[in-house]
Amino acid sequence: MDATEIPLKAPSIPADAPTSDVEQIERALIDASTRVPVLMFYTSAIVWLLLGTLLAGFVSFKLHSPDWFSNVSFLTWGRVRPAHMNVMVFGWASMAGMGTAIWLMARLCRTVLRHPLLLVAGAGFWNFGVLLGVGGILMGDSTGYQWLEFPPYAAIVLFVAYSLIISWAVLMFRFRRGDQIYITQWYLLGAFLWFPWLYAAAQLMLFVVPVQGVMQAAVGWWFANNLLFLWFGAIGLGTAYYMIPKVIGRPVYSYHLATIGFWTYALFSSWTGMQRLVDGPFPAWMITASIAATILTIIPVATVGLNHHMTMQGYFPLMRYSPTLRFTVFGAISYTVFSALGVLISLRSVARYVNFTQASIAYSHLGLYAFFTMVIFGSMYYIVPRLVGREWRYASLIKLHFWASVYGIGLMILMLLAGGFLQGANMDNPSLAFSESTQTILPYLRGRSLSGILLTVSHFVFAFHFGLMLFGLGRTSSVPTFLNPVETEGSEVHI
Amino acid sequence: MKGLIPLVLGIFGTFTFSWVGLTVIPNLQIGHLDPQMDEEGTDVYPAPKSGMTERGRHVYAANGCIYCHSQQVRADYAASDIDRKWGERRSAPRDYLFDRPVLLGKMRMGPDLSNIGKRAPAEEENASPAPSASPAGPPAATASPAPAKSPAASPANPSASPAPAASPSPKPANSPAASTSSAPAAGSPAASLPAPSVSPAGGAARAVAAQSASLGAASASPAASPSGVESKPGEPPPYSAAWHHRHLYSPRSISIDSNMPAYRFLYEKRRIAGERSPDALNFTGSDAPPAGWEIVPTYDANCLVAYLMSLDQSHPLKEVKGVAPAASPGLAAPGAPAAAAPSPAASPAKGGQ
Repeated sequence: MDATEIPLKAPSIPADAPTSDVEQIERALIDASTRVPVLMFYTSAIVWLLLGTLLAGFVSFKLHSPDWFSNVSFLTWGRVRPAHMNVMVFGWASMAGMGTAIWLMARLCRTVLRHPLLLVAGAGFWNFGVLLGVGGILMGDSTGYQWLEFPPYAAIVLFVAYSLIISWAVLMFRFRRGDQIYITQWYLLGAFLWFPWLYAAAQLMLFVVPVQGVMQAAVGWWFANNLLFLWFGAIGLGTAYYMIPKVIGRPVYSYHLATIGFWTYALFSSWTGMQRLVDGPFPAWMITASIAATILTIIPVATVGLNHHMTMQGYFPLMRYSPTLRFTVFGAISYTVFSALGVLISLRSVARYVNFTQASIAYSHLGLYAFFTMVIFGSMYYIVPRLVGREWRYASLIKLHFWASVYGIGLMILMLLAGGFLQGANMDNPSLAFSESTQTILPYLRGRSLSGILLTVSHFVFAFHFGLMLFGLGRTSSVPTFLNPVETEGSEVHI
Repeated sequence: MKGLIPLVLGIFGTFTFSWVGLTVIPNLQIGHLDPQMDEEGTDVYPAPKSGMTERGRHVYAANGCIYCHSQQVRADYAASDIDRKWGERRSAPRDYLFDRPVLLGKMRMGPDLSNIGKRAPAEEENASPAPSASPAGPPAATASPAPAKSPAASPANPSASPAPAASPSPKPANSPAASTSSAPAAGSPAASLPAPSVSPAGGAARAVAAQSASLGAASASPAASPSGVESKPGEPPPYSAAWHHRHLYSPRSISIDSNMPAYRFLYEKRRIAGERSPDALNFTGSDAPPAGWEIVPTYDANCLVAYLMSLDQSHPLKEVKGVAPAASPGLAAPGAPAAAAPSPAASPAKGGQ
């Protein structure tokens, strides 16, 4: 990582930069080579995000108003919910994550993207696979395995798409320049290699040579948690490791901490899957091992958190100006909260209450939205201007996007956690009727629907802003869009 | 970090560790179980399910029932699932031997369903629940004191009248099922009628009988609490096939607090052509179809109900310590049909009469 590079600067103005002209031009060339595929990934991701948001609102309202459209088979709650989940996981999060990962890899390998058409084809296939899968779910073809609802024919398409994408990534690594492999590259390479193995193993063990009985659930949750940690988590952390030092213009605090953090992360978080099935019909050692692994994830969380914090030390005021930094730091903090909550709800004494409640939904959203999605938003605010050669048009829209997202996801998680704990407490008290537990949570579910409105606003604002950029309606300026006018005192050195 | 090789090796190594540890080794341990049977090789549990029931499982999966209903009972020391009467013992890997997909579930916006089939009224219990026999259930309970005759009178019995062979479930397996369901009813006419309401009254206030009554009441909501369980005339007994159909069609007609969406798209509302279909559901109140119309479950709805009624983990397993009184009657009662365990509720109730 080149720490001398000036942060927050426009991409192609070599005159202002202390780095050599050659490097500036080289970087501009790399950016240009990634333009088409990365923008294609981003555009598709954002379309999926909007669709997923609408589905989410629908699901949320239906949960407390069950008679809504209940006569239409493909709009029944039990179909729209997995459709929403899969649109968000495979449509939005995976595509946006891959877009960011591709750009980061090209930058960090310091090589122009070869064969961009391969990637465009991959993105096309991926879109087709997600469309097929979501259509299948709505038509009643769901497999019934949570997180793996896509029918096998859609899974195959996704896999073909993925092989196109990964073959490119391997190619890129072959042509890299420089000996050092930066932290972000560890995480991204990990994600790119873990995902196909994970997906293939789950598909094989569930559909090709299916395992018996409860082992299917074990494989399913092993897949789900690893997808969360080793795919999304790895991309998210890798992106944060790039964006934070880059924007503030300071090298990562400690390389050694990062090494420890990465390997303990790979080792422990991959073992957490059975934490979702506490006291289920499994040999107790499996669940205990996962709980222990979940507790041990405190090590990578602490090292990564400490590393980011020490890197940011003294530079926190920059969050006032840089959209990228603001989103990324929020995401990084959420990662710590997400992991802490994961440890809490995996403990047997807590899981007793919250295992079958909305609190587990809060946990997933904390990981996929408050952490991953926010980091990816941050990276998009950094990358898109470098691809389209324009700056973001309205600082006010970025602020609206940020605050609507933060309040939306914050409200949602508070509602689901508080409601989930109450629901669990009532459910654990056999002297109360069961319906008491579901009645208790209804007001919280209505609150969650409110948060959905905030998130919908935030996503549509972002999509509109992104659309402006895509059609070349961004600002032509040599200065990036700051959230607030830059004050002269203090911070100017870094901006 | 320098060098790609150690990085890639580490990435593969950590993942292999997790893959082997959490899927391959457990699969060696619990991935090749056999059904449990006694010394004579009878009393096999669990048994594979019938085709209709298997189709019902896919209807259950396709419509996302799993996102609100779990199918796993946790041990008594781990949670209060057993106190809630969701089961008499904790679930074990062997219970799910033939389940594909296995539908353990992760959410309880609705009650656990591991044993919902067991809560069905006694008369439907020994039969493999063939849904076409179900409309016969409630009329039989209210109509005649001679239950041996009533199924024959009801048009649903295919052995009696060949006319309704055109009904949506023309499985030949139906007729033996229907006849076995009438057999115990003939044996003990009084006992088998609206079982949960009879058994406490019958003086046989054994622990098990009381338990089975409360088992029926437990997850029915306050609206259907004790008084409600004594099925009013015209209303199906709780957890019978007719009850399930009504619940799927109109959840809030059964429990006012229910949060469940209606699954009306699994039912067909049609004009009665000629004779009323034998499968048509008896609805009262606001759900009743207008005169000249009838509401008929589709094949999928029948499969789903068959699946729900097949959910029963009450059979004792050697590897699970059950609650003692609950486990013993199941073991003690001899002469049960090989596949279905006799319910503890049925045998003491008969004895008490």
